Amino acid sequence: METVITRNLSKTYSGGTEALKDLSLSLKEGEVFGFLGPNGAGKTTTVRLLTGVLTPSGGSCQVMGIHPGDRPEKVHLLSGIMTEHAQMYDHMTGMENLMFYAAAFGLEKGEGQRRSESLLRELELTEERDRKLAAYSTGMRQRLSLARALLHRPRVLFLDEPTSGLDPENVQNVNRMIRDLALKEGITVFLCTHQLRYAQEVCTRFGLIDQGVLLASGTLEQLREEVFPSKCLHIRAAKVPEDAGLLPRGPGEYVAEIHETEDIPHLIRKIVEAGGEIYSVTLPRPSLEEIYFALTAGRKEAQVR
Amino acid sequence: MRTAMRAMIRKDFRGIAGNHRLFSTLFIVPLVLTVLVPSVFQLVIHFMPEEAELSKFLDMLPISARLETPEATLSHMILNYVLPVFFLLIPIFSASIMAASAFVGEKERHTLETLLYCPLTLRQIFQAKVLASFLLSMLVSLISFLAMILTVETESLLLTRRLLLPSVSWLPVMLLLAPSLSLTAITLIVRGSARARSVEESQQAAVFLILPLLLLIVGQLTGILLLNVWILLGIGVVCAALGLFLLGRCAGRFTFERLLQY
Ligand SMILES: Nc1ncnc2c1ncn2[C@@H]1O[C@H](COP(=O)(O)OP(=O)(O)OP(=O)(O)O)[C@@H](O)[C@H]1O
Ligand SMILES: [Mg+2]
Repeated sequence: METVITRNLSKTYSGGTEALKDLSLSLKEGEVFGFLGPNGAGKTTTVRLLTGVLTPSGGSCQVMGIHPGDRPEKVHLLSGIMTEHAQMYDHMTGMENLMFYAAAFGLEKGEGQRRSESLLRELELTEERDRKLAAYSTGMRQRLSLARALLHRPRVLFLDEPTSGLDPENVQNVNRMIRDLALKEGITVFLCTHQLRYAQEVCTRFGLIDQGVLLASGTLEQLREEVFPSKCLHIRAAKVPEDAGLLPRGPGEYVAEIHETEDIPHLIRKIVEAGGEIYSVTLPRPSLEEIYFALTAGRKEAQVR
Repeated sequence: MRTAMRAMIRKDFRGIAGNHRLFSTLFIVPLVLTVLVPSVFQLVIHFMPEEAELSKFLDMLPISARLETPEATLSHMILNYVLPVFFLLIPIFSASIMAASAFVGEKERHTLETLLYCPLTLRQIFQAKVLASFLLSMLVSLISFLAMILTVETESLLLTRRLLLPSVSWLPVMLLLAPSLSLTAITLIVRGSARARSVEESQQAAVFLILPLLLLIVGQLTGILLLNVWILLGIGVVCAALGLFLLGRCAGRFTFERLLQY
């Protein structure tokens, strides 16, 4: 089932900034969609449009079949939203904050208490539960915000930079939580970030955006095919024949450009039959980071021209 | 969604109660006006030597306003003509403080956006906020009123062995004027809150509401305006209608986008 849909979604702010241009996306249930892009790309704008706090200047969007612009309160009931600007009350403790938002989401008191306690435990904040938020560190606040977003068991999660202030252990913990939510409960996650390595670990599909334009979208494999149609095989070998088509890269190291994986056995057989000695063959796969830089660099070049 | 709105109102009340600076400001000014000022008046009246000029002034009063002794007449005038004006100031004052903290304060501390993500319509959020400010200002007014009556009557009993009778004009003042001025003040603050960046900035709007009242006080004190009940009632109805009208218009013009502009 499709949970989040945008069609030619555009937003121009009153100042004239074109923050988003013709974004068309569609997310399925249980998908963790990584929305990636540099500062000012339009990620937060997209989240605000999808949660109904901004009105699109063109196109339309839907969350669980509801138009956020028309019935924002219905969308809020079905989605958990965490953005850097959505903070909680400093003069209240972590637990008091969660209990307040639980009530605001219509949870009854006992249920609110159970939910808050279990989320605090999962996010390793139990020791901090009775401390005032003013005494929380950035990472603790961030985790409490995630707990807040999950209180009412949302079907869709909008996470804007959920791990930007977290230490590596907490990043892993949050990662695991997000993946479990998507896998076991079928929650759709819309995750904005510029931490590419982190995104590569947790997301099932990606969208790359820059200056309001969606540059590419798809699974990591699809993006690799699209951005790097040819692959580079790395070979460590000796006595390589001249005509094998290998390019030397260092003493005993070579690269070979191939188009399909089926080409590899042919190439290897050719080298061996000609008397070459092969020590290792690797097919490095471009990471999300490399794809991202290739795409954004391509865009910059196009602009210069 | 009653629970949600109740939770929001309760949270706003707790926020004020937990903020010592705000809490003391909220109560010190009204209590100075309603406890200290009448006490000073009564002591001055009691220990003042009888002067010819004063009795000349009292002779100018209509017969209906005169009581047996000059002292009783004066005390009565203070209670029924001077003190009611304070109950026009107190609702404005307390409503402004609460509304500024409830609207602009949330924006300043970046908690407004979180609130907007709750499953409430903008109208419901608006209603809960206005209601919280309104209830608090009425509570402060009521407490001030009780404190004033208690002080004035106790002092009167001790000094002259008799009780003072509050006039009927207290009814339109407390039941119509105070609530409607409180609503108007809240509306002004809320309208300003879309633009205001800080709590102080938004409170300045309410100053404009206080100016005409200061004129009224001066008028009362110099005896130009001895407002009678019917005039008060009329003003009260007009103010209430105006307050409700402004509030309705203000609620209609609220949008998420305008609220989140920094
Ligand atoms: N309220 C606003 N009014 C006017 N322009 C805005 C507003 N908010 C954002 N913009 C502009 O819209 C563009 C996109 O901003 P947005 O916040 O969506 O970027 P982002 O991808 O979230 O960036 P970051 O990674 O820094 O969070 C930027 O050029 C920004 O200056
Ligand atoms: Mg952002």
